Amino acid sequence: MKRGFIRASIFLAAGFAPGAPALAADVDFQRLLKADQEPQNWMTYHGSYKSWHYSALADISAENVRNLREAWSHVASRSVRGLQSYPLAVDGVLYYSGSYNQVWALDGATGRVLWQYKQKLNEDLVAKQTHSPYNRGIAIGYGNVYMGTLDGKLAAIDMKTGKLNWETKLVNSEKLTVGFTGAPLLVKDKVIIGAQGGEWPDRGPIFGVDAKSGKQLWRFYTVAGEADNGDARNTWLNDSWRTGGGGGWMAGGYDPETNSVWWGTANPAPLYDWSGPDYQTKGARPGDNLYTTSVILLDPDTGKLKGYHQELPHDAWDFDSATGEFIMLERDGKKYVVHPSKSGFVWVYDRSGKVQNVWRLIKHINFVKDIKSNGELVGRRDMTEGKHTNLCPFIAGGMSWNMGSYNPKTGLLYKVGNEWCMDLEIKKTTPVLEPMAQLNIGADFNITHPQGDKAHGHVSARDPITGELKWEVKFPEPPLASLLSTGGNVLFVPDARGWLRAYDARDGKELWSHNNGQGHNGGIITYKAKGKQYVAVMTGWGGLAGDDYAAFFGGNFAQMPKDSGVIKVFALR
Amino acid sequence: MRTIPGKASAAPLRIFVASLAWVTLCAQGALAQPGGKPGPMQSGSHASAPAGAQPQPFDVSQLFATSCGWCHMNGGRQDGKGPRLMGTALSDEQIMSRIRTGKVGAMPAFSGAFTEEQLRAIVAYIRELKPLAKQ
Repeated sequence: MKRGFIRASIFLAAGFAPGAPALAADVDFQRLLKADQEPQNWMTYHGSYKSWHYSALADISAENVRNLREAWSHVASRSVRGLQSYPLAVDGVLYYSGSYNQVWALDGATGRVLWQYKQKLNEDLVAKQTHSPYNRGIAIGYGNVYMGTLDGKLAAIDMKTGKLNWETKLVNSEKLTVGFTGAPLLVKDKVIIGAQGGEWPDRGPIFGVDAKSGKQLWRFYTVAGEADNGDARNTWLNDSWRTGGGGGWMAGGYDPETNSVWWGTANPAPLYDWSGPDYQTKGARPGDNLYTTSVILLDPDTGKLKGYHQELPHDAWDFDSATGEFIMLERDGKKYVVHPSKSGFVWVYDRSGKVQNVWRLIKHINFVKDIKSNGELVGRRDMTEGKHTNLCPFIAGGMSWNMGSYNPKTGLLYKVGNEWCMDLEIKKTTPVLEPMAQLNIGADFNITHPQGDKAHGHVSARDPITGELKWEVKFPEPPLASLLSTGGNVLFVPDARGWLRAYDARDGKELWSHNNGQGHNGGIITYKAKGKQYVAVMTGWGGLAGDDYAAFFGGNFAQMPKDSGVIKVFALR
Repeated sequence: MRTIPGKASAAPLRIFVASLAWVTLCAQGALAQPGGKPGPMQSGSHASAPAGAQPQPFDVSQLFATSCGWCHMNGGRQDGKGPRLMGTALSDEQIMSRIRTGKVGAMPAFSGAFTEEQLRAIVAYIRELKPLAKQ
């Protein structure tokens, strides 16, 4: 691709036309703390600090959702690998990001473009990235739209004008190849963001940046910590911490009561290790490999490690904990944090990070025999160099990175589960560090059907603490998009084939569906503009999970475009 | 938390290397980050100096499993995210060109990452691919 440096910030005159929406008021920490009190807005990636992906809006309900119709749409340019991000809505304006770090502000009622922003990028670098050029979300606060960039910066864009206020370089992407794709999280007056990288030789840092000035305040290395902050290099024998991994590549959560940032971390590199059962002393990275495949609790003011739980010590399967929201719940006077993970298990913690329960969302799991309710792994399947068959789940996970939804009215957690497995041949690999870091996988492999079953997906409604199943809907291929449930007792499921489906959140009865013309692999929200409730969903296909569908599932995935992205917005007719 | 014996002496070196990287980047005007404390905290300076890194015997099947096998499944024998490579109709030069330049949205460009010797070895690896015997 021709080397190109593009920066454009276009404030369209139409945005000032009579009848245009008032541009959004400022969003600050106090407003985010009380996000529940303004359900007409969706101001942060997870909806609120509770990370429920739920809206109390009820104008669209199980009783009338059959009357939902497309209101408007907006086509995102250069949508390579589709739209994987989450829209945000503040005071009638909808903001969203797309591939190549583009951002748009739209009139929430009509879709009229108020401004667009295109980040200046080193396109030669982007062309060398594997987990690219998508962006998975933005944060809003203090007059800015915050976005992590593919080339390792945090950018602050003026939410009224679409002009760049500041940018801060955080990751040496020119050397490490990886940058940022995950959404930032605003906590107090700080923007917190985690870098990409499970199978890459960085140390998965998480950064704290001053939300107003852009000054970097702290950094936490998820791989082995730092000398004065959670030094854990003794869990990586032979200095193997330098092989890295551990990226906190999805947005974490925040518990205001304990002032703790909760963040999930990725697997160590290489993904697959040849140590076998002797993983404490042999292989590519002997030891438990803290703080990879862990949940870590950080002080947002200092970046100091307050606590952690390593969900999979010495992860040898790429089932990282970076996926999965941190759902803040309270039941019978006890407060919990529920964290689904790529492994197919769901961890339940107290607010200090102590494991309270572990339950399984999917059927086909054999990388361990079980995980006890106290978090202890039983019957690990640690593999040696050579061929192995029927490892479950598949590398794309028992759950992928998109979000479920917790509905306080039904008390149920809705979550996509994936039933698929893999064969693999583990090889002793050597990390490529020069001149630019490269993927370090450690195996050849292929996707397979589970023994005695056919690969498929499901959306289930379960008790978030016990995992007790209330109802389940099966899909011929795992949906890869996020879910939304509402105060109108509707559960929205954007599926892989391109159908947006609405179910009764209470019993799973399908109420409505609409073909959006291409698969979904991003977020979904609901909001109000000019007093009317809308549902906005990302469309567009392609990515590390979806790219397997054409060869494995065939059907319409073989012709589905992987360079197209449209945000579709619906309202009652 | 326990620390490793002998690790203390490594810390100043890391800080020194990080500082050098910081100074270099600042001189290039690459950073918008305000200067002064808390100082250099960019990620990445460690990767240029892996401890104990020794020249490794080059094994192309290992290289493939390191960086290629995620997309070209079963060692390149099967369609996956990327196409099956076994039996490809592309010429040697076409294969090397695709590895160097990649394909937008489908394959990263490995120009600069692999040497010409490695590129030729990958082509030879692809040419020699045979179906695996049934297990």
